[in-house]
Amino acid sequence: MKNKNGESLLSRIFTLRNMAVTFLVVYFAVFLAYPIIKAFAGSLHDWNPLVGTYDWVGFDNFKQILTDKLFWSSMWNTAVFAGVSTVFRIVLGLGLALLLSAKLVKCKDTLRGLFYMPTITPLVAVSFVWMWMFDPQFGMVDKVTGLDINWLHDTKWAMPAIIIMTIWKDFGYATVLYLAGLMNLPRDVYEAAAIDGANSVQIFFKITLPLLKSTTLFIVITSLISYLQAYVQILVMTEGGPGTSTYTISYLIFDQAFQKYNFGVASAQAVILFLFTGVLTLIMFKISGDSEDLA
Amino acid sequence: MKNRRIGGIILTALLFVVALITIVPFIWMFISSFAPNSEIVKVTGGLFPKPSTLANYVSIQEKFNFLRLFINSLVVAGLKTGIAIYTSAVLGYVFSKMRFRGRNLLFGVVMSTMMIPWAVTIIPQYEMFTNWGLQDTYTSLVLPGMISAFGIFLFRQSISGISDELIEAAKLDGASETRIFHSIILPMSHNTIAALAIFTFLWNWEDYLWPFLMITDEKKQLLAVGLKAFNGQYGTDYGGLFAATSLAIVPVIIVYMIFQKQFIAGIATGSGK
Repeated sequence: MKNKNGESLLSRIFTLRNMAVTFLVVYFAVFLAYPIIKAFAGSLHDWNPLVGTYDWVGFDNFKQILTDKLFWSSMWNTAVFAGVSTVFRIVLGLGLALLLSAKLVKCKDTLRGLFYMPTITPLVAVSFVWMWMFDPQFGMVDKVTGLDINWLHDTKWAMPAIIIMTIWKDFGYATVLYLAGLMNLPRDVYEAAAIDGANSVQIFFKITLPLLKSTTLFIVITSLISYLQAYVQILVMTEGGPGTSTYTISYLIFDQAFQKYNFGVASAQAVILFLFTGVLTLIMFKISGDSEDLA
Repeated sequence: MKNRRIGGIILTALLFVVALITIVPFIWMFISSFAPNSEIVKVTGGLFPKPSTLANYVSIQEKFNFLRLFINSLVVAGLKTGIAIYTSAVLGYVFSKMRFRGRNLLFGVVMSTMMIPWAVTIIPQYEMFTNWGLQDTYTSLVLPGMISAFGIFLFRQSISGISDELIEAAKLDGASETRIFHSIILPMSHNTIAALAIFTFLWNWEDYLWPFLMITDEKKQLLAVGLKAFNGQYGTDYGGLFAATSLAIVPVIIVYMIFQKQFIAGIATGSGK
């Protein structure tokens, strides 16, 4: 069985394309589609693997969650955490990228490498470092600032401390993406603006910022999605405490699922998070007008 | 002219000061890892404890077999990174250069998987892998990370920049798809490979929840989980924790230094239009 190019039937079936696409589809079916369906189904059940229960309860899990104070305070904490972290990530990231892209600045590679260091270090490790940085006895934060705050054990300050650490860890990512975005900007627009006598503030707000819109949108969306899912820094630094003051939605799910083994309730919370993330992403695309920017 | 140059030097110096403040936590951790506990917790001391000993590094090996966890993480993260880069490159090539029914739909699905929270899939996956009896095997760690939507996205962007004529010419010379991929596409994608290597290695190296759920055998455990366990057990052995954490960031910094030259270029082709 050979065609005119001398290829056998087998080699036409087992092409790179067919194998790759088949692999992708099977992989998605097993490791994504099935688990998602199972999570939706599980959210309607009293599901506890330790006791071995999997009993239909309808929307009871959702009713329980929506009347649970901890769920709402976790949602609020998540909103504050995600909102503040994203804003600072973008402002710091863009500011540094602009400075680093200035022609006058020397040693750009070294500087970029230094600013990027927090971003490329493991979150578990830097969460520990900051846990000690915030230690009221020997930590550097209180020593340098002269403050006397027991950051991680104070219900008022624990969340700000986690946010500070997260911003420090993540601004480098925005810096690098903005640097890449700035590199792609068309030169002639700037030359024209300079000829027209535009000052640097005008150039920034009228030209640079609009041209970086797709980069900004990309950073906002990926930041929000990842911050809605953040739990590692909370697990390491406060374990949700003191009290429940640093519970976020993803930490709450982790806690329900793998410390209390309430798989049903955790699945229902995960479904809510899923829908919330989806709606938020859609809104972001709608606000930005053209969803073509990302693809 | 002279003023501009002085301005440049001042700006550079200022940026270096800010950069140093940024990495102070690392410097502090590194110096502290060579100090005895009594020195670290001293209230009256200066900002940095006095480094004087290697005892912390010896003790972490004795107390929780640090080297073992370190090598486990290195093997698992290295393997997962290699696999994810390879599958991403193949699929990036397929999505950017080949036609088939449902291509755009499938790519849309790939992109939308990026917004699926881990919380949705992890419970069913946990149940699935436990039922398959894969707990305490590295198969359970490698299997769920074989596809990277982010990686496919990056490769699709960069490979679509490679000219079609080049590929057509190779086809006329009788090269198969597989051969074109390995001898043309892959070598030309080195920037994307570099960018993805940095990210993927880091994500796998720092991954906590999945190894925490799948691996219970201490000898097979990974470093991120081990660090947290060590903190739970020896929470006041600050010197030891500083030493272990210092060593835990070394591999990702090495990977970054190897690939950083191509890194920005890789990101630029990925995010550019």
